[in-house]
Amino acid sequence: MEAICGALEPLFPCREVTINTLGELIGDPREAYPSAIYLFGHSGTGKTALTRAFLKECTNRQNVRTAHLNAIECYTTKIMLEILLDSLELDKADPVKADNMLEFLEQLRRWHGVPEAHSQGFLIAVDNAERLRDMDANVLPVLLRLQQLTSLNLCVILLSQLPFEKFYNKTGLSEVISLHLAQYNKMETQRILGSDFVQVRSQLIKKLAKDNRQLGIFKEAMTEDFYNNYLNIFLSVFYKACRDVPELQLTARKCFSIYLEPVLDGTVEANDISRLWRHIAGPLRSALTQIYMRIEKPLEDTEGSASIEDQSVRRLAQSLELPYYAKYLLIAAFLASHNAANQDKRLFVKHHGKQRKRMQTVNAKAKTSDKMSTTLGPKSFSIDRLLAIFYAILEEKVGLTCNLLSQISTLVHLKLLGYVSGEQNIMDGSARLQCTVGLEFVLQIGKVVGFNVRQYLCDFM
Amino acid sequence: FSLVILFSQGCFVYKNGATRATKKTPVKRKRVLTSSSSSLLDQEIICQPFYEAYRQTWSQVNAHIAELQQRSYARTVEHLVNFVAMAKPDELLPTAALLTGINQPDHLSQFDALTRRLHDQQAARVCVLLSRDCSTLKAAVEAMVFGLVEYDAGKIIGVGSGEEEEEHDVVERDHKRLRRSQCTLKQLRSWYENNFPSGHEREQKRRQLVVILPDFEGFSASVLQDFILILSAHSVAMPFVLILGVATAMSAVHGTLPYHVSSKIRLRVFQTQAAPTGLNEVLDKVLLSPRYAFHLSGKTFKFLTHIFLYYDFSVHGFIQGFKYCLMEHFSAGNAFSLCSDYGRALGRIKQLTHIDIECIRRLPSFRQYVEGINDCKRVISVLTDDEYLKKKLPQLLRDCHIHFILFRCALEFLTDLVGDLPHCPLGKLRRELYAHCLNKTLVTSPEFKECWQMLSFLARDEFVAKVKRSLARTEEFLVENVAPLELGQACIALLEPQLKTIYQALNDVFQASMTAKTDKTSPSSTYISQISSRQELKAQILQRSKDDKHRQEENIPTTEFARAVQKTLKLVETHLVQVYLRPLQDAPPIHELFVFDDIATVRRNIIGAPRAALHSALNNPHFYLQCKCCELRDQTHLVGTLPDLTVAYKLHLECGRMINLFDWLQAFQSVLNGGDNVTDDAALEQIDPRIQACFTRAVAELQFLGYIKTSKRKTDHVTRLTW
Repeated sequence: MEAICGALEPLFPCREVTINTLGELIGDPREAYPSAIYLFGHSGTGKTALTRAFLKECTNRQNVRTAHLNAIECYTTKIMLEILLDSLELDKADPVKADNMLEFLEQLRRWHGVPEAHSQGFLIAVDNAERLRDMDANVLPVLLRLQQLTSLNLCVILLSQLPFEKFYNKTGLSEVISLHLAQYNKMETQRILGSDFVQVRSQLIKKLAKDNRQLGIFKEAMTEDFYNNYLNIFLSVFYKACRDVPELQLTARKCFSIYLEPVLDGTVEANDISRLWRHIAGPLRSALTQIYMRIEKPLEDTEGSASIEDQSVRRLAQSLELPYYAKYLLIAAFLASHNAANQDKRLFVKHHGKQRKRMQTVNAKAKTSDKMSTTLGPKSFSIDRLLAIFYAILEEKVGLTCNLLSQISTLVHLKLLGYVSGEQNIMDGSARLQCTVGLEFVLQIGKVVGFNVRQYLCDFM
Repeated sequence: FSLVILFSQGCFVYKNGATRATKKTPVKRKRVLTSSSSSLLDQEIICQPFYEAYRQTWSQVNAHIAELQQRSYARTVEHLVNFVAMAKPDELLPTAALLTGINQPDHLSQFDALTRRLHDQQAARVCVLLSRDCSTLKAAVEAMVFGLVEYDAGKIIGVGSGEEEEEHDVVERDHKRLRRSQCTLKQLRSWYENNFPSGHEREQKRRQLVVILPDFEGFSASVLQDFILILSAHSVAMPFVLILGVATAMSAVHGTLPYHVSSKIRLRVFQTQAAPTGLNEVLDKVLLSPRYAFHLSGKTFKFLTHIFLYYDFSVHGFIQGFKYCLMEHFSAGNAFSLCSDYGRALGRIKQLTHIDIECIRRLPSFRQYVEGINDCKRVISVLTDDEYLKKKLPQLLRDCHIHFILFRCALEFLTDLVGDLPHCPLGKLRRELYAHCLNKTLVTSPEFKECWQMLSFLARDEFVAKVKRSLARTEEFLVENVAPLELGQACIALLEPQLKTIYQALNDVFQASMTAKTDKTSPSSTYISQISSRQELKAQILQRSKDDKHRQEENIPTTEFARAVQKTLKLVETHLVQVYLRPLQDAPPIHELFVFDDIATVRRNIIGAPRAALHSALNNPHFYLQCKCCELRDQTHLVGTLPDLTVAYKLHLECGRMINLFDWLQAFQSVLNGGDNVTDDAALEQIDPRIQACFTRAVAELQFLGYIKTSKRKTDHVTRLTW
């Protein structure tokens, strides 16, 4: 057990406590394992990596049979059982089959009779364990009591982001040992990020090997202090937005080369932190908007990627190519979604008569922003109404052809419109649609075709 | 023939999304039949000269377009192949997002090209997953595994399996026809390890497993998220590469994938050519190429581009539309077999029969030709003697060919000249100008005048550069596109002198000074001298301003430069525009053989109007059935001999929103009984069970067609659904 913990601790800084607890619980296969361990914490806190490394150490040092599976993959129970059997199997002679839980348990019990299995330990880790709740009703209870049911020295480790309370159901579950992996605080994060100093250094040395002068500067400048200073600056920008360590690690490495640039050029001294800060602040801020997006820059054309990064609504609406009528259909759909049906006559018919003003209507009209239908979200409309508005706002005369109707389904396919109800019975006209794009977007599209959308919205009248 | 109409007026919806990539317009249907099996068309038809000419033209055009598209794909495909090759096995899933534009069926062929490339290079196994196969996660994974494992075994044997001999037996052994339910990732993994063992020496050329999702938007978000999570979980063992075809924009990707998924991928964005650009390329290089004898008239041309720009952005659809025009054109008769290369056409003249010659004589432009001959005898022989006309035909054909080629050259000149004027009065693209020039006389149109005015306002350097560029462009066009043609040299010989004169005029412009021309008749105008009194000065100034005004009205330029510019523009107008860019009605005789102008037919047959077709079928079945019993003098008439469905339909048109079934039935009965006024109430109550059966059936059919539905609000009533 000490050997395992000792091997793992340098790999997972700031997780010594958890490693020790795990080691005490399942560190020795000669002792009885607990029946189940529940390991939870946010993403990027090292659940999976830690468990995987732990299981690997167990296999290597103590000859424990282990299985690590991802619950997302198991869209049927059978797949899960087969993966489990496959990796727990004692002798890899012929593939064992198990169609249901009963056969699975039978199979495991049979191993109990095998003499070599007596001293053998079995560990099963299930990633994304929250998915187990959606699987067959017997999966989760059986997994939690697997030790009892098979009389093997077996432990199931469940990994999830949710606390265990979310797993309770009507029939109740047997007790598990819960272990929480708390998020790293800022100091810990910095320590973890700093732990790859040697790796980053050697990587960059390899990269700079061609240029002797720069290599010299780099070797001199790149000290642990320098790197930690950088990480400090980096975290002061990023820590508020993101605590996912792998994500931070990735971004930190990406930005480090920018940070290093002026030093390599010789324009800024390596210990002049305030000037380096001024240099890096802009790039860091722009990197902050890119976090989690994982858009890689192609090497050859940088100006092309710049336009992709700038994803403002205006650009989006202009870059989205739609045929002319599709644009009008989208505008019509937006109008239908954001105007009340009883206002249609007023908005779209030329001679709609005079509207009588009553105190009630005047009061109702005095809209506050929370009553604005553009802020309330889209309402549903029928295809008939969509077409009626389309014909009203389009100046030219167009026939109701297949090409036009198929545009509606194209827009649905592009997720610019969405079905609210009655997707199955489009034929009898009871299907209701909804426009899913925002006001900004439609205003831009209106500008492209020369149509003032605001003029036709009740909110702005 | 009525069957054909029925066929083509039926509605064939062409959905834009890749969920249904099959297009079922009559165009396609005919094509499939003609190209794949000649069994539908009689041998007789296939042997006809017009069919041969059609086939030649179409195969030429088609090959040209295919080549062009291949070239335009090539760059993107190249980038993607590089991306796949560079992708390293990693925790993160390498992902390429290809922004395709909204018409995705067009791009399926692009993904096909990519697949072929990757297989040829032996760099990867590829699986194309369509959203319609992946409604659930299970279906998606199974489809993917099946696609990857079974690829070379099932469909294309020649590509992958032939070369990998050492792996061949492994494949054989492993290959026991997988069942769908066996397609799990476990299976895939064992297959991968068997076939591509990761030995040290082979580490470099590990096969990538490429998964292509051509229609990203079609996938349900949850399936896609899980799918990506699974792939990324396995990407250490198996080097997956994901390629997404995104129709809208990158925000769709980020909208669909939450952080915990998008942090598992490494995204690279690729852009493809925009659909309108692709179309313009096809139009400029193929349809407007002087190489082909077949031309679309301005209206048809505009119509087809209109469908493209206003409705669907489908280049494929456009090409099919063009093909329909081609078929329609050639099927008009054997006379149209002359619409091919000049040399071939000469050979075909001999094959023409009397009927074909008559067909030529009936062309509208032929009449003008006859009227233009002032020799009486020759007129008679042209009209009656087939042999004589056959002798005359080569000259006429030659005129036509030369006319079209020169038209194209002049168009090239004009496009460059007026394409970048502010506001583009004539349009800035070649296709717009083309439609313009063919439709009406350009010189008299107000847009043309506006253009000319703008040109004359240009500064000297600008003007000279512009015209020079246009000239250079035209000459380049002559050398590159026209010279290799049969009649190319003749055309060049015709056009060269014109270009030369313009060039000379341009030189004059270059040398012209900016000073106002000295008017010798009134020397006083240059200097206001010898003024004796204030009145005199006033009078003189008045006189001068009058002169200026007068000159402006007469459009007499004041400076030498302006005069030179005017002269050049005039030259261009008379030598190029008026002579060559003639509208269709002024084109040489028998140009109808080369130009397709039957827009009504095309419109009727290409654009499906389901409501209209159904209405006319139900309202006037005679239109389709062509039977004697259903002939109606007036569309609103109702006779008992009409089909039951028609009677029920017409009666329902007279009703309001709710229809009482019993009233409807009675009306139905009275129509079927031929309007014998049965006054007896008892007879009205008594309904013939046969009639009731007919009625029930007709109502059921109307419901099936979506005209009515049962109502829950009122018993014995149905609701009308259409108006």
